[in-house]
Amino acid sequence: MGDTKKGSRLTVALAGALILGFSLAGLLLPDREFSAAERRRLADAPKLSAEAVRSGAFMTEAETYLQDQFPFREGFRSLKTFVNCRIFGQKDIGGIYLYKGHASKMDYPLDTASIDYSASRFQSIYDTYLKDSGSRVYVSVVPDKNRYMAEEAGVPHLDPEELEERLLSQMPYASYIDIGAGLGLEDYYKTDIHWRQERLAGTAELLAESMGTRLPGDWRTVTLSDPFYGVYRGQSAMPLPAETISYLEADYLEACTVYDYETGSYVPVYDPEAVKGPDPYGMFLAGSKSLLRIENPAAPEGKRLILFRDSFGSSIAPLLAGGYREVVLVDIRYISPALLGQFLSFEDRDVLFLYSESVLNNSETLK
Amino acid sequence: MLFSSITFLYYFLPCVLILYFAVPGKWRNGVLLAGSLFFYGWGEPRYLIFMAVSIVQGYVLGRLIEKYRERKRTARVFLAVSAVFSLGILGVFKYADFFLENLGRLTGLSIPLLKLTLPIGISFYTFQMLSYVIDVYRQTVPAQKSLIDLAAYIAMFPQLIAGPIVRYSDLREELKERRHSLDGAAEGIRRFAVGLSKKILLANTLGELVQIYKDTGEKSVVFVWMYVLAFTLQIYFDFSGYSDMAIGLGKIFGFHFPENFRYPYIAASIRDFWRRWHISLSTWFRDYLYIPLGGNRVSRGRWIFNILVVWMATGLWHGAAWNFVVWGLFWGLLLILERFWLGKFLENRKWLGHLYVPAAVLLSFVVFDAASLGEAFRTMGSLLGLGGLPAADPVSLYYLRSYGPVLLLAAVGTTPLPAMAVEKLSASAAGGFVERAVKPVAAVLLLLVCTAFLVDGSFNPFLYFRF
Repeated sequence: MGDTKKGSRLTVALAGALILGFSLAGLLLPDREFSAAERRRLADAPKLSAEAVRSGAFMTEAETYLQDQFPFREGFRSLKTFVNCRIFGQKDIGGIYLYKGHASKMDYPLDTASIDYSASRFQSIYDTYLKDSGSRVYVSVVPDKNRYMAEEAGVPHLDPEELEERLLSQMPYASYIDIGAGLGLEDYYKTDIHWRQERLAGTAELLAESMGTRLPGDWRTVTLSDPFYGVYRGQSAMPLPAETISYLEADYLEACTVYDYETGSYVPVYDPEAVKGPDPYGMFLAGSKSLLRIENPAAPEGKRLILFRDSFGSSIAPLLAGGYREVVLVDIRYISPALLGQFLSFEDRDVLFLYSESVLNNSETLK
Repeated sequence: MLFSSITFLYYFLPCVLILYFAVPGKWRNGVLLAGSLFFYGWGEPRYLIFMAVSIVQGYVLGRLIEKYRERKRTARVFLAVSAVFSLGILGVFKYADFFLENLGRLTGLSIPLLKLTLPIGISFYTFQMLSYVIDVYRQTVPAQKSLIDLAAYIAMFPQLIAGPIVRYSDLREELKERRHSLDGAAEGIRRFAVGLSKKILLANTLGELVQIYKDTGEKSVVFVWMYVLAFTLQIYFDFSGYSDMAIGLGKIFGFHFPENFRYPYIAASIRDFWRRWHISLSTWFRDYLYIPLGGNRVSRGRWIFNILVVWMATGLWHGAAWNFVVWGLFWGLLLILERFWLGKFLENRKWLGHLYVPAAVLLSFVVFDAASLGEAFRTMGSLLGLGGLPAADPVSLYYLRSYGPVLLLAAVGTTPLPAMAVEKLSASAAGGFVERAVKPVAAVLLLLVCTAFLVDGSFNPFLYFRF
């Protein structure tokens, strides 16, 4: 099995070209600031100092930097996914699996401590602001898309009924609105965790009716032409086709204003330009915001809603605004509930706790 | 720095290689030493000093041993000083807390622990230095006159952090003069690519399954079996992968390191297993502990004692914890059983050996990986269906489907079957042509796939932090 000179030469030449080629490309190509697929900032070149070298921080940062800025990083991530799925036959990539063209992330087992923590945060809000306010308190759980695909896909999943029971048993002050039965897999993006706003009219009407109000229901669907790649596509590097984002327009929405307490400025209800950015779902109510107020001059006087929510709330809130003069959206992942009294009145409001299974089961970010 | 990193593969290695081949031959050991110190200092800058001190003491005392060879007692004192020094550093960093903790337990005293971080590779370079000084004392090798050459041998980055434990006697000639060839480099590249693939594609993937098992609260008998299998395969591919990478890098630099693994999981007896598993360590203990203790040329009782001492030391070498002591003694006891009773019985029943060795290996690695002895016994009980775990559940069945192909692939990879298949293919004229054409491309493809895993990899454990 002796090696021919030609074979040795070829081995050395190919390996040398590969290693030198990529190392030179890594040094010469300009650094990228952001990975759109992974939706995260890429590491900057580390700063060299005696202290950074002594502590080892320089080396650690350099390793991350060289890994992040490696040439053709996205192509390599896709290659890894291909090998894992097609050669090793793995059923998921970092917990993300495919079923009937839908990608979803496994979320199991049920973290009872996390559910209890969520309930304790909601209890604290109730005790501080709602107990004697005359407000009507509601709770609803946004089903994770796993609810509609995990079992059939044979993937480990939590029991949503157990989750809801555990949460509701700790929220006796809130009326439960079940929205899970009216939703299905098709109501979610294939490549993303979120639900599709254009399919939420029924869910919004159910919520509004349960809270004693009605929505105008004159929505028109607008579909954006920009390709939309959801968070699961980027995280898994699976070759999933692009989707489009649609949203619901209505006459009352044209008159609505949205006030952002954080910046003290007004933001649009929908920002189609955001679809081109790092967080496409941020086109609904400017994305991750701690405190927003939607004012709908077309709605009857006196109807006010406070919506404690996560990112799922961003897309359904404009629909709920059809039945309310004012909808305040509070995201306690970004603002401490202790501060809310400085900005909001809780007297005689409808108050809805609308949280996704995913946030409830991983609630360490709730303040 | 780890071999399995972008930093090593695409930045450190090409720089060192370019420098190494750019300078005249007499400077190459210097380049290799400088590169090795940078390699070691990259991860552990503050521990460079201990390695430097260890090298200098070995160099000086080795020279003194040689100089005072005629005065046996003096030479022996120098040997003892060097051994105490080497083992002292190792003892303080690796075993002091283990000793203090157990002393505290025995006496009931509250003894504060040192909580020192173990310098990576300390067990490897300490053993290399010990073997050098002992060999000089035994006159197996002359003392090295060049501090640079000795330092290049001890610190040589291809084998510094995960072995094999290369003897000075194996490299002495090549430290002085070695041949660099295109064939050697090509063979080295291919061996390195195979080793890197074993580590990144197989060991790390199996390690993910091990981690999933450890993280999940939903365990079942099936999952426990999967975990034990996965860990047993992971440690083999990780360790033998590192050895392959070391041997491959050595070839590129013109060195010939000894083989460290020879399909250990196909062994038909425990004795055979240890002739195939971490060969450089078991032969080190044989030559520098077992034989000096008297080996087998003593009474039966003393022989058993020697075996147990050697295997307890082997266990402790892998980590300062009771589970490693038990792990070592487990092997020692099995070897005693084989030597005195089982050996003859197994000789005519090879098939039984092929069942009993893997079973022993699986059990031993349960102990090896356990956080405590209690956990090890619980895991062993679970393997047998004790402990109240369900036989299977949806979680374990999912992971069996998801990781089954890798487990199977890895299991086949522990046997000589793939190598035999390649050999058979290359035996024919057409197959030989294909093999010669495919080999260079395959090596580069493996490097590319490994790069993909490194670029996107957050799971890249280093299993030897306790060694």
